[in-house]
Formats: sequence, structure tokens, C-alpha cells
Amino acid sequence: MNTPQTSIIFSRVALVVFFIANVVAIYLLLRGHNYPGGGFIAGVATAVSIILLSFVSGVETLHRFFRFDPIRIATVGLLIAVIAGCLPLFLGLPYLTTFNYKWYDVPVIGELYLGTPLLFDVGVYMVVVGVVVKTVFILMTSTFNLTEVMKEEASLYASPLEEPIEEHPVVGSDVFEKEAAAEAARKNLNR
Amino acid sequence: MQVIFPLLIPLLTAILGLLAIRSSAGRRLFFAASAGGQLLFSLWLLASVFSSGSQVMYLGGWSAPYGIVLVADPIAAIMVVLVCLTAFSCILYGFQETSIRNEHPLRLPLIQFLVLGLNLSFLTGDLFNLFVAFEVMLLASYALLTLEADDWDVRQAFPYLAINLFGSAFLIALCAFAYGLFGTLNFAHIAVRAQEMSGEPLLVAFGMLAMLVFGIKAGLFPLYYWLPNAYPIMPIALAALFGGMLTKVGVYVLLRLFGTILPHDMDLLYVVLAWLSAATMFFGVLGAASRPYIRGILSFHILSQVGFMMLAITFMTPFAFAAAILYMAHNIIVKSGLFLVGGAVMVLNRTDKLENTGNLWVRTPVLGVGFLLLALSLAGIPPLSGFWGKYMIIVAGFTAGEYVLVAIAIVTGLLTLFSMLKIWMGSFWQSKESVPVVTSDRRWIPMTVIVGGLTVISLIIGLLPEFFIQMAMTAAEGLLDKDAYIRLVLGDLP
Amino acid sequence: MFLVSSLLAGILFGVSTYLILQGSFVRILFGFILIANAANLVFLAMIGDPRGRAAPVLAANEGLPMTDPLPQALILTAIVIGFAVSAYFLFLLYRIFLDWKTTDAVDLFKKSKPTDV
Repeated sequence: MNTPQTSIIFSRVALVVFFIANVVAIYLLLRGHNYPGGGFIAGVATAVSIILLSFVSGVETLHRFFRFDPIRIATVGLLIAVIAGCLPLFLGLPYLTTFNYKWYDVPVIGELYLGTPLLFDVGVYMVVVGVVVKTVFILMTSTFNLTEVMKEEASLYASPLEEPIEEHPVVGSDVFEKEAAAEAARKNLNR
Repeated sequence: MQVIFPLLIPLLTAILGLLAIRSSAGRRLFFAASAGGQLLFSLWLLASVFSSGSQVMYLGGWSAPYGIVLVADPIAAIMVVLVCLTAFSCILYGFQETSIRNEHPLRLPLIQFLVLGLNLSFLTGDLFNLFVAFEVMLLASYALLTLEADDWDVRQAFPYLAINLFGSAFLIALCAFAYGLFGTLNFAHIAVRAQEMSGEPLLVAFGMLAMLVFGIKAGLFPLYYWLPNAYPIMPIALAALFGGMLTKVGVYVLLRLFGTILPHDMDLLYVVLAWLSAATMFFGVLGAASRPYIRGILSFHILSQVGFMMLAITFMTPFAFAAAILYMAHNIIVKSGLFLVGGAVMVLNRTDKLENTGNLWVRTPVLGVGFLLLALSLAGIPPLSGFWGKYMIIVAGFTAGEYVLVAIAIVTGLLTLFSMLKIWMGSFWQSKESVPVVTSDRRWIPMTVIVGGLTVISLIIGLLPEFFIQMAMTAAEGLLDKDAYIRLVLGDLP
Repeated sequence: MFLVSSLLAGILFGVSTYLILQGSFVRILFGFILIANAANLVFLAMIGDPRGRAAPVLAANEGLPMTDPLPQALILTAIVIGFAVSAYFLFLLYRIFLDWKTTDAVDLFKKSKPTDV
């Protein structure tokens, strides 16, 4: 599969946006316990940034970069989340009981507030990243391969009752010719 | 503390099985050991619930109406044992049915996720968690349904998915209405509030919506068309697990809802549910009689028996509830066993179309005996396990004076016997020259052993009914005793 | 406010039911995504006024109106679950399309499976 052809502006901007989006994601992840944010939304931000990268470099390049199935990230994340819930069981406390601790004078940072909810959120974060990336990658690879088929089978993508979903008809297809003919007829009428 | 383990063990098993285990044989061993351990553990939970009272766990240490709560009362403990038993036997059976190379690596982890969803829906103590549990269970079931389906069969997942998505949307709406009506989602707290509101028409509307939602899940009369087409497309081991357990969750929730949560004076609801369940059992059994495949017949029978349990719910007495619970327990075991017999027939005759099966009684009499005991038990022939549940339901019906409904139930029982005899004649009794019996395929022997195990459990229920009826009575009284449940969960709060 | 949100939820339920009853896969998919949103809106409507009311607990921003946070948390859960189910549904429809080369639900059940040997 070829890498998709993108403009140089898009690819440079996408790289910058990738880093910015991940910084935002980590910010959302860390503040999630007491303020709006959290594992899910941070995971979505990271996943979207990875999908953006895949538009630039193509899915297969990213696959080579990752070297493993994204669903494994999700499984590890699930394990982390479950373990975070299990920790209090060893002390005889109910499942999901939280432990928090706040350090008041940490060098550089100042105040530091950590606890098992953060561990749980990291688990959720990994689950969301893994699942979203996996889902979108599967759909992208399958539709990339299908672009050649579409010319002949474009009619199959939509039922006879509805308009085709694609806004830009494939060059040389019937739709395009019909539209060109209609355009020509209209011009003739106007004249 | 024991309450959390029926949830944690399947979850950790599934995760570790996905992450750590590479070889197929190792995966099989790991999952079988875990399923066996879960069965033992659930029996321990059952024993401790019956000996030292129900258990409650407040997740995260948040007290009852504010946090999430898990409750193991007798009925929940019984259901968890049944889940573990069915899952264990179906996993073992699946090892025989599918060769180690053909088994999809995701099948066993998904079964564990399914068990997680089932256990959570029995143990949960609030409505929204019930929704989450249903979704865990349904997502696993969607995946299992299409995991090994071929091009022809995959279309049957479409109506299954569509009806369940519809049901899930209404379940969210139900949670919303509960929150709007009662200001809480905790079962015990809803019970307190609903008792204060007793007699209001809004409660009836709430009950109707609940009946629609859980009726879809259980396969109630006008909403069941998806079930008998979807279940036969799976491998038999999975079909047995689905057929045994999945619809029963809906029945369980209705038992919990009508028994524990809503006030006991909603006669309109009971009448509607009674007639719908009568229609379910009657049309279900008619559908079963019309199908030419063993799996199709059994899938339709699921509906018919769901009708029986629903009918018992509507009488609203401890005796009728005990009948429903006993019948449900019997039905889960026997129905799974019958599906597994169907799988053995498919191995021996290479098909389960009744026209092309036969000769099995002569060649494999042990399997025949197993089928006969299970089938007669399903039809409700006296000393077997199905008889006691059915007998109690009919007695409850006579006590309530519902003679027409009882008559429908009896006719349904006769038709059940008829369609079971259809399988018996078609597959076992008839000798057909042209039909080969492949006894050289050794898979049928361990399959018969597993079927035999389920048959023995069913026989024990049938021959020692007093112990089990006593157990069902305890569970039913626990279900109907609102005050005890409220005190258990909320403490002395109200 | 309650009236408006209930009306909107009702309209969404109606529209999504109409879409689900169509034959085309795309419309059915949109219908199911819409019906999940309609159900979530019912939940949101249960808060009452979205501008909030005075809170019974004292907090840092004392005196400012607060909304009930519980339905929002529950809706978030429902949205996540709905997302997963929609993704699954999309994949199922896509697979059916690849196998059957049709996007019409009616075509699926016209042919019956050739019976096994």
C-alpha cells in the first residue's frame, strides 16, 4: 500500500499538533481526579493524535513503528485498572477503595497529589487509546484497499433510494458523466 | 469480601489469558482450571450465604445509597453457581467440539467476559450497574455470535444486534425514569421510595417500560423473533451457554424488580405479563414443533420455558416465586444439556437435521439414555427435575384461580413432550439404512460424559426435591421480603 | 426547560425509530446512534434545569448554582458504552457488506442458506 499523498504543510503541522495534543492529553489525565478531564477524554485525545499521524505516514508505517497490536495496550490498561481496584482488597477493605497522599514541598513541582485513582485513570487511558486506534486502523486499512473496487461497485455503497455518500464522484463514473451532461444541458438552456 | 471474587476471577482470567498465554494448549488448560475454580468458589459463596446470611460489599467504601453496592443474597448466589456450572461444562465441551487448531484464540477470553457480565448482573445492587452488566454481557455475546460465523450465518447477527441495541437504549431511558421518579438508582432505596409512592400510575408506567426492556432480553411474546434464528448459528458449546443463561438474566431481573423493588399491588402489570407469558410459552412451543433442526427446536423451547417462569412471577406468592426459581435452575441445566446432546448428534450423524439423523439408540445407547432423561425432564414427567417446578407453578396457578392460564401451561407441557419425542424418534429411535453413524469419531465419548454429568445433576434435583425446594423457598422469601433487603443494604438509614 | 428537553427526546426517538425501520444500512446505523443519544437526553432531562440550583453543600464557589453531577457521570458511561457498541455495529455492517455485496437489510433475508449435507 502506498503512503497517502499529503501536502508538506499538512504533514509538518500534523507532527506539531501530535505533540501538542499529547501534552494536552497528559494534562487532562493528571487533573482528572478532581476537575473535568480524566482517563477517557485523555485517551481520546491521544488516539486522535495517533490517527492524525496515520494520515501523514500511512497505517503500515505506524504499524511498523509500534511493532505490536494496539489492542495489547488496551489489555495492559485493563489489567492496570483492575489491579488499582484490587490493592485495597489485601488490606481487607472493599474493592476500589482509594488511597491518596499529598506531598506539600516537592522540589520543582511544589505540591504533588497522587493516589490509586490516578493509576485507575492511566488504565482507562490505555484502554481507550488501544481500542480507538485499533478500530480506526482496521477500518482505514480495509477502505484503503477498497478504493480500486469502488469505481465498479460504487452503486453498492448506497441503496437505490439514496444519493451516493461520496461528495466527489470518481472520475469516469456514471455519476460524473451524468452531472457533466446536466451541466451542459443547463448551459444550453441558458443560452 | 467473597462477593467481589465472582467478578474479579473471570476478569483477571480473561486479561491474563489474552496477555500472557501464547500456546493454544496452555490457554485451554488455564481457562478450564479457572472455570473449575470459579465453580468451586461460587459453591463456597452459596454455602456461606445460606449458612451465615447475605453479603453486601460497598465498593470504594461509599455507603449504600450513594455508592455502588454488590449484594449476594440467596437468589443471586444460586444464579452465580448456575452460571459457573454452565460455563464450566460448555468450556469443557467446546474443547471436544472444536479441534485445538480451529479454535479462535478470542473465544475463551470472551466467554470469561460473558461470565463477568452475567455475574455482575446477578450481584449488582443498583439499576445503572445492571445496565453496565448487561452491556458487558451483550458485547461479549455479540462478539461470540459472529466470531466463528460463516458468510451465510453472519447476517443473523444483524437482527440480534438491532433488537438488543433497541433494548439497551430503552434500558438507559428506564434508568433515567427511575432517577427522575425516585431520585436514586439503588435497588433498596428505590424500594423505599416506591413503597411511599404505592398506587401512583407513574409506577405502573415504569413497570411497563421495565417489562418491555427485560422482556426483550428474555424473549417475551411479541419480541422474540431474533432468538431462535440467532442461537443456532453458533458452535453448539456456545449455543448451550447462551441458551442456558442469557434469557434467564431477563427473568431474574423481573423477579427482582417485581419481588423486591416495586410495590406488590400492581395488578394491571401482573395481568398483562401473565397473558404475554402464556402467549410466549404457547407460540414458543408451536415454533419448536415446526422446526426441522435439533438446534432450532431447542432454541424455540427456550422461549416456551421463559414463558413458564414469567407466568410463575405473576402470581406474586413466595410459593410461586420458589417455583419460578426451581424451574429456572432446572431449565438452565437441562437446556444446556440438551444443546450438548444436539452437538453429539451432529458429531455422530454429521448433521442435526432430523430427516438425516437416526440409528443412534442402537449404536450409542448411553447418549440415548442421557437425552431421554433430559427430554422427559424438560417435558415435566414425574420423578424428574422438571416435574417439581412445573407442578409447583400449576399448583400456584390453581391457588390463584387462573384456570385458563393453567390450562395453557398444561397444553404447552404436552406439546413440549411432542416436540421432544420428535427429536427422539428422528435421531435416536428410527433406524435408517442410509444414515451413517460415525462412532469412529471419538469426540462423542467425552461429549457424552459431559452430558451425563449434567443429567446426573438434573436427576439429583429430581430425586431429592425437598432440599432444593427448601432452598428455592428461602431464596423466594428473600426476594419478596422487601424490609429485609432494605435493612441489609441500607442498614438503619430510613 | 423540562418540557423542551422532553419534546426533543421524543422527537429524537421518533426520528431514530423511523431511520431504523429503513432498509439501508447507513440509515439503520445512524438510527441506532441517534437513539442512544435520545436515551442520554432523557437522562439529561431528569436533571431539570440545566442552569442548576443552589447547592445544599457549601463549596469554594458558595452561592453559585450547581447541577446534579450524577446523571452527567452516568451519561458519560452510557456514551462510552454506546461508542463501543456503535463501533461493533459498524464493523458488523461492513462485514455483511463485504460478504453479501449489499447495503439493504431486506436483501439479506431473501435467500435461505443451502442446507448442509
